[in-house]
Amino acid sequence: MNTQFLKKAACLAALTLAGLSAHAQQTGTVAVEFQGPGGHSSGNYGRTSALHAAGRAVIFLQQANLPRGSYTITNVTGGNSVNSIASDGLIELQLTAADATAYADVVSKITAAAKAGADAENAFRGVKAGDTTAGAPAHIRYTVNPGLALR
Amino acid sequence: MIDINNWRLSVITAALFLAACGGSNDTQVATTPPVSEKPTPSPDPSTPTDPNKFVIPPEVVAAAAKIDGDAQIKALLADQSSATAAKSRWNQFLELVKIASPSRSELRMAAEIHQRMTNEWGFSPTEVKTRADGIMYGTDVNVVDGLPVYNACVEIKGSYSSSAAAKHYNGQFPKVLVEGHIDVVNPESLPPAGDPFNKIRLQPFSQPVVETPAQLAAINDVLRFDATGRVIEDTNYGIASKVFANEAAAKDGGGVRVYVPGYGDMMSSTSNAFVLAAAMKKFKIRPVYDVWICGTAGEEGKGNLAGMKQLFGFEQDLGTGSNPLNFVSSMGLEGGGTVNFLGSYRFEMKFKAPVTPGSGDPSAPEAMAAAIAKIADVKTPSELRKDAPRTTYTVGRASCEAPAAGSGVVPSCSLEVDMRSPITETLNEVRASIVPQFQAGLVAENARYNRTEGSAQALSMEQVWYGLRPAFVLTQPNTPAIHAGIQSGLTTGTDTRTTVNTSSGSLNDNVPANTGVPTYNFTLASNAAGAGGHAFWEWGTRGAPELEVQRMRRVLTATLIQSGYHAADGTIVQPSVGPIGNRTREVR
Repeated sequence: MNTQFLKKAACLAALTLAGLSAHAQQTGTVAVEFQGPGGHSSGNYGRTSALHAAGRAVIFLQQANLPRGSYTITNVTGGNSVNSIASDGLIELQLTAADATAYADVVSKITAAAKAGADAENAFRGVKAGDTTAGAPAHIRYTVNPGLALR
Repeated sequence: MIDINNWRLSVITAALFLAACGGSNDTQVATTPPVSEKPTPSPDPSTPTDPNKFVIPPEVVAAAAKIDGDAQIKALLADQSSATAAKSRWNQFLELVKIASPSRSELRMAAEIHQRMTNEWGFSPTEVKTRADGIMYGTDVNVVDGLPVYNACVEIKGSYSSSAAAKHYNGQFPKVLVEGHIDVVNPESLPPAGDPFNKIRLQPFSQPVVETPAQLAAINDVLRFDATGRVIEDTNYGIASKVFANEAAAKDGGGVRVYVPGYGDMMSSTSNAFVLAAAMKKFKIRPVYDVWICGTAGEEGKGNLAGMKQLFGFEQDLGTGSNPLNFVSSMGLEGGGTVNFLGSYRFEMKFKAPVTPGSGDPSAPEAMAAAIAKIADVKTPSELRKDAPRTTYTVGRASCEAPAAGSGVVPSCSLEVDMRSPITETLNEVRASIVPQFQAGLVAENARYNRTEGSAQALSMEQVWYGLRPAFVLTQPNTPAIHAGIQSGLTTGTDTRTTVNTSSGSLNDNVPANTGVPTYNFTLASNAAGAGGHAFWEWGTRGAPELEVQRMRRVLTATLIQSGYHAADGTIVQPSVGPIGNRTREVR
């Protein structure tokens, strides 16, 4: 998933909405990526899950009181196998806003939801930034990428 | 929608009960056996039930000494101790581990092993017991979860079946199994035929472990292979081939992390199983019972232990194994003496868009995400109570169908959950916490849109897959496998433990153990360091080849104790296990 995503990201970045009028209806896409350490579902139990963080983030976004229709989630995906803690998570969204200000507000709230999802997963598993597991970062990291969703 | 709360529980409970009672073992047998006829031990109330307490019979101690001191065995091990053999093992491992082998799509790996069996490892076609199409003669479970089973097995023929008085089960003479799995978590699916191989990337220890797939993909130091699949012995090969005692030595000595899926889990051990098979053939090692050495399919991911279910005739809807090939013992190669096995339940749930979808409808991705978020907050029995056994879960995978062109409506999303515990009670307890969250996610999303459950305007849910790894709790430690496993370590000096491992694993061995066939677990790998199993950053560093040979020595000894052995001096070590294997169901 990630490789394909990254290959196409550069192309899609060119399709941002920078040229639209600030007062016109704004539409676009956002991809929210989560990254964690992954691992064996049993042997490494207790590690953070990037997919669990993504699920949590969606719920935080629902609680953000955005106008209905301002976003549509077109994809939630992550992980490679049922018996592995997911090292990756991805939420893809289509956005619609009345104007540039409202659009920026939606992106801002998506960013806040992503942070809250990552923070909640880190807190549930008792890890913080800087912690490592087997040499890899133990905490969930996230990035919010306007214009990079594939769907 | 299937009621996933009740009927599976009764199946598992029945399976455990039957396994505890032992299976029938006396159909269609001949008379007057030619060799020792010790029956497979059944639980004896007079023997200790503490899994740490067992008594190794003196004949097993003697057998181990005899086998370990045998001239032909020594010749085999001396041959494997050469620098040439060590290099050959290492190269074979690299050449196999580069073959992408996702669970249930192991056909390319199995094909390569099959061709090496006859073209390089010295076996005749009749000694190869598996086929490219996944069909295995003699079993009553050839298809698991609707898919073929790509096992790769070879036989070291024993003498027992040539006796007119040999006992058998439905025509199947006794066999000892030695196996390691050939599937790997990553990549998730089979890559295209035009680019079928994993990249093997090298990274100095002076650099930190990669954090993202992009960082891994950016490593340009790779191992290269020629058109026939042989590793090219260039500068990078030389760097990757350096041997170290441990990670600290590798860091100090210019070692590298060798990134490739399956390095530790578990081609470094499975590949050496076939080295051992070829060596047994080359040195004409002749057991009494047949010995099968197998690369098994379907251990990882949604594999559902398909390879073992084929070998042991384990019908998952019944929760019983017919042991149609009559294995009397099973030697796994994925661990350190594990004899207790975690049970697991696995579910794949699909959340589906309303039958009449439109804009402003509840969302399948958000329903699935709600379920994931709720599951993510579950605390297992062992997180809630100190006296509960370690119990785990994860939502391992999720995905959504793409919307139709021009539509924002996602048709469906699916998640996969794994949950494990060593005993049925706590496994059921965590299932009872998790399974309702599937429905809760659905209900929450429908409620956001005031949709009536079950209506055409509401989201719906379907269970599309169920996975079962049957649990096994050792209550009777006096088994031939444990005797051979422990004694082989003591005799060869490779393991001084005199007690069994009381922790639980989740391995291929779940199937034979639950079916009543005794098991023990070893490794044939020698890795100086490694991490990242099941993750994109799985890596390892080559360990001492001498350790591989020591471990081969132990596995060979343990296997031949149980199968029996025609020693170089003309004497016969009698099998330590009876000729009819246990089962929890008769062959259909």
